[in-house]
Amino acid sequence: MNFKDLQKAWQSQDASAQVTINADVLLKEVRRNQQHFRAGLFWRDVREVGVAAFLTWLFLHWAIRDREWPLYLLALACFSVGSFMLADRWFQRKKQPAPSDSVRSCVEGSLVQVNHQIWLLRNVFWWYLLPIQVGLGALICSVVWQLRQAGLAVILGLTGYALVCGLLCWGVYKLNQYAVRKTLEPRRQELETLLSSLN
Amino acid sequence: MLKVVRGCTAVPQDQDDLLQDILVQIWSSIPGFRGEAKETTWIYRVACNTAMAWRRGERRRREGHETFIKFSPSPQVQPSHLDSMPEQEAVVRLYAAIRQLPKVDASLALMHLDGLSYQEMADVLGISENYVGVKLNRIRKQLADQLKGASNEL
Repeated sequence: MNFKDLQKAWQSQDASAQVTINADVLLKEVRRNQQHFRAGLFWRDVREVGVAAFLTWLFLHWAIRDREWPLYLLALACFSVGSFMLADRWFQRKKQPAPSDSVRSCVEGSLVQVNHQIWLLRNVFWWYLLPIQVGLGALICSVVWQLRQAGLAVILGLTGYALVCGLLCWGVYKLNQYAVRKTLEPRRQELETLLSSLN
Repeated sequence: MLKVVRGCTAVPQDQDDLLQDILVQIWSSIPGFRGEAKETTWIYRVACNTAMAWRRGERRRREGHETFIKFSPSPQVQPSHLDSMPEQEAVVRLYAAIRQLPKVDASLALMHLDGLSYQEMADVLGISENYVGVKLNRIRKQLADQLKGASNEL
């Protein structure tokens, strides 16, 4: 059998005749899919940016009430983290590849997104952990200074609290690096392989 | 679409899952169709992108979702439409061989067998027509190696 015969045999498979599509359920599924996608984005924004916005408001409120400058710093740290997330999300949303783009554009678009995600998680210390830690550190130092007469026990307690905060940050950092290794790196490799097969 | 699905996976449940994903993506992408490409090319683009993303990601099961596709009797190759047994066998073996190819090559093989022009294939994949030709030569050779016995003149 030569290629033409094989192609003829291939094209004579009557594919469409075997499929019955329930249009109502398909439409319902499309709507559900879109709603699920929008809801996913919305709740992610609420979770990440909303928490930052709430904490900004809370620390600002306390800072104005108590006239404590480290609380202003903490509010500023939360505000900058939230703003960074929001700006990043806005820029990345513009770069989303559409399923109707060519395969190459789609793979390139996905690769850009995965690379950006890797960059974000690898640098989570600089844009997320450090600003919060600077704010918290300033607050702890200020409280320690104010309570310097209260005795060693209080100072030791606050130092312990600072250590717990430091450990928590280390945990968050490690968790992000684990996500990069476990999920994003293999995905990047797969996309790079796909792209190299198109080059 | 069914050929793309069959070219991706041999597992009936996965075929069903992927076909539903492709249909949902096509339906969702219709508002973005500007008529710049032929409908077949556009559908192939969405189907290939969905198939590649589907194979890339976790296998999602549509638990709790309603099924909107019915196959009768099953989404496998239907021999009744093919003229003879050797042809049926050849097509079945061809599907198996296509599944062994890298993703991009499998997509090209499917489009080539479906009779798309070089320009259409280049448009779907976003590569040059020359490169389509180069790749197809390689793919034919690979398929011929895998189909030895069923085809000698690929």
